Amino acid sequence: MVEVPQDAASAMEEDAVAVVDETALIKAAQRGDQEAFERLVRAYDRGVLRLAMNLLRSTEDAYDVYQETFLRVFKNLNLFRFDCAFQTWLYRIATNLCLDFLRRRRVRREEPETVEMPDGAHSRMDNLHEDRAQGDPQRALMSRQLRERIESVLGQLTARERMVFELRHYQGMRLRAIGEVLGTSEEAAKTCLFRATQKMRTALGDFL
Amino acid sequence: MNCEGVSRNLSLFLYGELSIEEEQEFQDHIEACAECREAFEQEKAIHDLLERREKLPPPALLARCRRDLSLRLQGAEPARARWREWFRMPRFWPGLLRPAGALALVALGFFGARWTTPPAAIAPQPDSTIEPVLSRIRYVQPEASGRVQLVVEEVRQRLVSGAPGDENVRRLLLAAARDSADPGLRAESMELLKTPRPDEDLRQTLVYAIGHDPNPGVRLKAIEALKSYAAAPDVRAALSQALLQDDNPGVRAQAIDLLVQSRPEDSVIGLLQELIQKDQNTYVRLRCQRALQELNASIGTF
Repeated sequence: MVEVPQDAASAMEEDAVAVVDETALIKAAQRGDQEAFERLVRAYDRGVLRLAMNLLRSTEDAYDVYQETFLRVFKNLNLFRFDCAFQTWLYRIATNLCLDFLRRRRVRREEPETVEMPDGAHSRMDNLHEDRAQGDPQRALMSRQLRERIESVLGQLTARERMVFELRHYQGMRLRAIGEVLGTSEEAAKTCLFRATQKMRTALGDFL
Repeated sequence: MNCEGVSRNLSLFLYGELSIEEEQEFQDHIEACAECREAFEQEKAIHDLLERREKLPPPALLARCRRDLSLRLQGAEPARARWREWFRMPRFWPGLLRPAGALALVALGFFGARWTTPPAAIAPQPDSTIEPVLSRIRYVQPEASGRVQLVVEEVRQRLVSGAPGDENVRRLLLAAARDSADPGLRAESMELLKTPRPDEDLRQTLVYAIGHDPNPGVRLKAIEALKSYAAAPDVRAALSQALLQDDNPGVRAQAIDLLVQSRPEDSVIGLLQELIQKDQNTYVRLRCQRALQELNASIGTF
């Protein structure tokens, strides 16, 4: 028997409570309650920032996407009519902004994703969360190589594949919701995920 | 489901995206087919590798984003509710009422201004004690009316006092524990935030500090603050990671103490057995040995 790592019952119970709270928060924020809006931001902003950072690989661009996403949410919250999940609506804004950034970057041919250092090329993301000097240098080297390989293969995915992969793998979003966020079908999101994981499998196989 | 179907659905199964029937067929197949079972194990291993990628954005960046957003929101206006839009629609107003209303508003503004004193350009905070020491423009937005909106960031000092449990004080302490550049301040804030049942925000901050704070004193303080939460899976994962990777023997020793506090899982026992052979620090090796003896576990890995 293969284990599926989910406690579905308790997760559903938590979801139900969260949905009630969230609806109340959104309504309060729509009435102009600043604190409610702040709580809404805090419920989702880590995810949005992480998504932007992983997709754009630039802290400054991720910062801009964060600011613009939540400013747009703030300005348009009264137009949110609960006809989809708030998270879907929010991520639709964030992913569209990320795609805009990626498109603009393609046009502008911005800075490369790696920087040259005395000991070779390093991913720009490395300096965001560099590990401390570790007891086992071999392990540290392996972990750096792995991280570089992951970043490199993510860089080879199409923008859409990468978006689907990030949303499914790191944000835990269901494929149906991802389809809604990206304005496509669940089936199309599934195909993107399949392609992305296939590329990951090929690129990371020798780390096993 | 045949081998091709399993191969197509490996990830979908792990993500829980298959229907109940598909899941059953998938499981039945891999139980019977050694080749697909191996492919599935490989897929699981790749998922685990991907988990090693950093999950949280750097706290300092998140803090900067939140602070700047809060400043920007002071100058932003939410979209109007529809009922207000409706009231603005001309058909709702009799033709002459609009100009008359506008005239009345102008008159009210004119006379009102004569009877009231003009407000200061920037209203002072009631509890600010010192004039701004740093000010810079963060945001400029021209408006259609020809006016300009600016968000001016000012650094002020003000005194906040209250019990560590007060919401406002707690929020500030949490920010200091996470983002302050001063390790003494981070450790002190953690000490003050210590509670038998840390909430989600505090727990995340402490767990993050164990793995990422550059100062060993702060990492020790974070471990200490999580003492009563040593059984939680995310805390145990952070402690195991510290045991393997932290370069400070004091932190590694304290991680051992917490990990063996409640009945540890087999992987922790394996970790201790491994450390007896590999750790460069004598005290850590002795601590591992003592812990294994207390747990009636064998010292060697054989």
